[in-house]
Amino acid sequence: MMTGRRVIPLRWPAAVAVGVVGIVGLVAFTWPFFVTADVARDHGNDAPWLFAVLLGLLAVVCLAEVTAGRLDAKTIAVLGVAAAAGGGLRLLSAGTAGLEPMFFVVIVAGRVLGPGVGFVSGALAVTTGALLTGGVGPWLPFQMICAGGIGLGAGLLPVRAGSRVERWALAAYALVTGLVFGLFMNLWFWPFLGTGAPTGMGFVPGAPLQDNLAHYGLFYLATSLGWDLPRGVLNAVLVLVAGPALLRVFRRGARRAAFGVPVVFAPAPGRDAAPHREPAEPHDEPPVVPLHDAEHPR
Amino acid sequence: MARLELRPRLQHPAAWWLWGLGLATAASRTTNPVLLLLVVGVCVVVVAERHDPATVNPLPAFLVIGAVIVVFRIVMTALLGNGFVGQTVVVTLPSVPLPDWAASVRIGGTVTLESLLYAAYDALRLAAVLACLGAANALASPRRLLRYLPATLYDVGTAVVVGLTFAPQLLTDARDVRAARTLRGRDGRGVREMARLTVPVLETAFERSLGLAASMESRGYGRSVRSTTTSRRAATGLALAGLVGVLAGLYGLLDSSAGGVLGLPVLVLGALLAGSSLVVGASRDPRSGHRRDRWTWTATTTVLAGAVPAAVLVIASAGGWPGVVPSQQAQLPEVPLLAVLAVLVSATPAWFTPRPREVAP
Amino acid sequence: MITFEHVSVQYADAPAPSLHDVTLEIPEGELVLVVGPTGSGKSTLLRTINGLVPHFSGGTLTGRVAVDGLDTAEHRPRDLATVVGLVEQNPSSTFVTDVVEDEVAYGMETMGLDSTTIRRRVEETLDLFGLTPLRARSLRTLSGGQQQRVAIAALFAAGPRVLVLDEPTSALDPVAAEEVLASLHRIVHDLGVTVVLAEHRLERVVHHADRVVLVEEGRVSELLDPAEAMLRSHIYPPVVGLSRLVGWSPTPLSIRDARRKASSLREALGASAPRPVADLRVIGPADAVDLTGVRVSRGGRVVLDGVDLTVARGSVTTLMGRNGAGKSTLLGAVAAQHRLSGGRVRVGAAGIDPHGRSARERVRTVGLVPQQPELLLYAESVAAECAAADDDFGAPSGTARALLERISGGVDPSVHPRDLSEGQRLELALAVILAGSPEVLLLDEPTRGLDYGAKKRLGEVLTGLAAQGTTVLLATHDVELAAEVADRVVILADGEIVTDGPAREVLASSPAFAPQVTKVLLPQTWLTVAEVAGALARIA
Repeated sequence: MMTGRRVIPLRWPAAVAVGVVGIVGLVAFTWPFFVTADVARDHGNDAPWLFAVLLGLLAVVCLAEVTAGRLDAKTIAVLGVAAAAGGGLRLLSAGTAGLEPMFFVVIVAGRVLGPGVGFVSGALAVTTGALLTGGVGPWLPFQMICAGGIGLGAGLLPVRAGSRVERWALAAYALVTGLVFGLFMNLWFWPFLGTGAPTGMGFVPGAPLQDNLAHYGLFYLATSLGWDLPRGVLNAVLVLVAGPALLRVFRRGARRAAFGVPVVFAPAPGRDAAPHREPAEPHDEPPVVPLHDAEHPR
Repeated sequence: MARLELRPRLQHPAAWWLWGLGLATAASRTTNPVLLLLVVGVCVVVVAERHDPATVNPLPAFLVIGAVIVVFRIVMTALLGNGFVGQTVVVTLPSVPLPDWAASVRIGGTVTLESLLYAAYDALRLAAVLACLGAANALASPRRLLRYLPATLYDVGTAVVVGLTFAPQLLTDARDVRAARTLRGRDGRGVREMARLTVPVLETAFERSLGLAASMESRGYGRSVRSTTTSRRAATGLALAGLVGVLAGLYGLLDSSAGGVLGLPVLVLGALLAGSSLVVGASRDPRSGHRRDRWTWTATTTVLAGAVPAAVLVIASAGGWPGVVPSQQAQLPEVPLLAVLAVLVSATPAWFTPRPREVAP
Repeated sequence: MITFEHVSVQYADAPAPSLHDVTLEIPEGELVLVVGPTGSGKSTLLRTINGLVPHFSGGTLTGRVAVDGLDTAEHRPRDLATVVGLVEQNPSSTFVTDVVEDEVAYGMETMGLDSTTIRRRVEETLDLFGLTPLRARSLRTLSGGQQQRVAIAALFAAGPRVLVLDEPTSALDPVAAEEVLASLHRIVHDLGVTVVLAEHRLERVVHHADRVVLVEEGRVSELLDPAEAMLRSHIYPPVVGLSRLVGWSPTPLSIRDARRKASSLREALGASAPRPVADLRVIGPADAVDLTGVRVSRGGRVVLDGVDLTVARGSVTTLMGRNGAGKSTLLGAVAAQHRLSGGRVRVGAAGIDPHGRSARERVRTVGLVPQQPELLLYAESVAAECAAADDDFGAPSGTARALLERISGGVDPSVHPRDLSEGQRLELALAVILAGSPEVLLLDEPTRGLDYGAKKRLGEVLTGLAAQGTTVLLATHDVELAAEVADRVVILADGEIVTDGPAREVLASSPAFAPQVTKVLLPQTWLTVAEVAGALARIA
């Protein structure tokens, strides 16, 4: 594949940023299992809101770090398509209680265009969906991180592009992520329920880890699995059935966008200057204004 | 007679969002059903008065979701109980025996009024917060906020704008492709057929996106965002330092043995550092922009109207005023009059803010 | 203003260069028309002007292109945005925002102009292009002509001195095209903007051009006088065809000039009555399509209101009318794409109700080629598409492939359908639909973006199909195609049939739908150059 696994290269600061945000996200979801009873009692009510604000900020910082100066018009347009496809599917599935076929598009985008694009298009697909349905709320940062992570992971899957294994690996990935997504998203408000949770399924501040885990497991089985399992299965089936065709469409789209195709200016034959080759990702110092990609390495 | 061709003058979107967040904060501090219903009522009234008729109104969907949450929680509580044990038995359901490993769970059994009320109040609080967010969404479409993103996020914001423009076209294309499918004798049902549809729809979207990219490029996209190597490096440094600060602060906050006092300040500092990286990373020419929304006195007053109930209820819940967290008795809970007045204040923007004008379709 | 010095372009994965050694100097304030068949390198030529080729597309550009003294090798397209504006073929895909006024302001915002300048220029531009009444409208609700005007205005607002337009009127109906051309005419004549324009529909634009450049297989002529260019060009509008036939000099480009020279031709033809070139078809009983009181509502609006129509077996009928008159909806109602809210439809000799049948049964009787033929295409190569079509329609394998061979002059079967030219794409879609061997063939606006060559082939294919007994019903704006193939013309307006009659009668009597040859030779009712040529041959 000549197309850019490097459409948005993940440089080390961006990778660190994604890593740290991932850790904060993990803490935001799993803190009830680790903290002492006092902390949990004091903050059980505020923590979800605190984390919503914090993750909202961090997700945005992370997006800025990943994309800083690396988006040209073509990348933006391709991201726009991925976001629109994800958001549009969200719009379609608004009535079907969380049966989100959106992940399927994010997985394919991440797979074809690399982890950087996977992360950004996941986050943007969720945002677009929320803006389209008017569903902006504190859940948005959590979903952005989750969907971004799913796209990133799809880009990092160690399978060769175009191989037979790819299809099955992606289907399995879709199934697992569908389930894990629900598992995490419920954790966001589970401690918030406190004593409001069903008997034996609630968060008990300060209780041993395995107790709370068991409670949460039961809670998940009782309330959420019924939605998450069909979602995972739907996404996996979609990947199996439409995945190969869609992968080809995305690859073709990336090829036609000519990411990474060299741009060469040569003097007309008969003159003596050497050809002037430009890096594919632009460009030279323009005379008008300093540009944000002006210092790109040659 | 004025022609119906003028742009509607709308209030600054940030004002409505801050108002909504204020009201949501107020709602999150109480479980008093009277106050919560009042909050929902305020949302409905303000949206009815000041929603821009040219856009879709998402509030009803939020209200429906809120109602579903309340019903769902009540049903779940009746079936599975909750951590609240009461005296007043409403009904006794047949109990389902469970194996040992699930001994802590019960299904069926006695249903008490207190536990039902507890669940209902708690769910109502969530529904009220949802109503506030729905009202903010309805009063100022969040896509109008995209114009105020810092320059570092200009590109990402544009990608979202492109996505928002493409998504409805994608749905139209999907309908057309599905219709075209019947021209080849297929009825377009089943997963395999659905999968088939995605190919031409996405092909078209990619073709369109390339046209768009070329047009953006030739229209000067990206010329006015200024960033230098120095500013970008500074932003990266700030972002990384901020992220580390946030991590450290969180650790301090959650693990009380590691000095919880320092946790919050470090966390806030980290967040500020990370936030400042957005500002430092790049800048746009501040003069540029066509018809920005103006911040007027009504915008300030709207924000204040949202801040009043937030402040009153935060104080009330911290001070433990009677009625803010009502008891689960089968009687109307006590209603703190000051809180009611504060919530009513937040309804005033329904009248003093500018009314969105009708626009020709 | 624009200088090409020995310019050649080769794309990264292309076997041959797309442009060969172009040397050209376009002076300021001229309207230059670029003429050439599909795939000749017209678009590449236009896109080198602001540097999209090769900055955006990738590839190698040899030589030098400079606009207003700025070399494209040193200036990226975005840096040239204040000098050159490039309007793409399909305006709707180039919109970034969703409201007219925002779209006009967008370019200037991205360039970082200050807000008072932006405001002033937005107002001026809206007035100049007559868009003030539409300023608050959503772009998606505009008609094609309005969208094209917004696209031009959005570029013009930034103040470029050169406008480059790639087929701005190909997809428009005659009225909308006139609107767009009037706007262009105004900015060239009043404001001295240099305009470079490529267009298939020469009959619409050639008389507006100051200079013409001919492009063929990547080779580009020097700047020519339009009349002279039309003598040399392989593609030309019917009025030039008539002039070439009779030998008028200088070549007239407008109807008015041609009528001044046509009096002797009219006299010569006076004695002989117009007669179609092709032999009269055997036209069967009027039972191929039978509509009674058909009503269709879409989105709460009545689009077709009580339409009665019968079509004879083996005939070619053309539906004409403004955009939004209900032509496409009528075809959709016959092919059961739109639900009827009243009336009945019967199709084929057996009088089948298409709305009461499954898709699989329906396609044996009625086939529709939609306005965007690519919507019908799913496969990844032409060969796979043909095989899928055989499978869809239960036809013996190879049917669609053989049909395609017959219709088109050879399409590489390994090409992706989306990489075909618009003409080839239409031919492929037609072959796919014909694989079901429908009794009635419907075509919705088939000539969009087709050059003269592809259009001529389409005309021959339709005539051939009708001769074999297929009933053809097509909706089109293209009066020249209608003049070429139609037996009968039906004109729709606002969901009702306003005129219905033999093609010659209807076309000759309508000022809006008369073909160029008819307009030149009125009151005689000749429709095509070929008819006149046949008559002259008989007289001689």
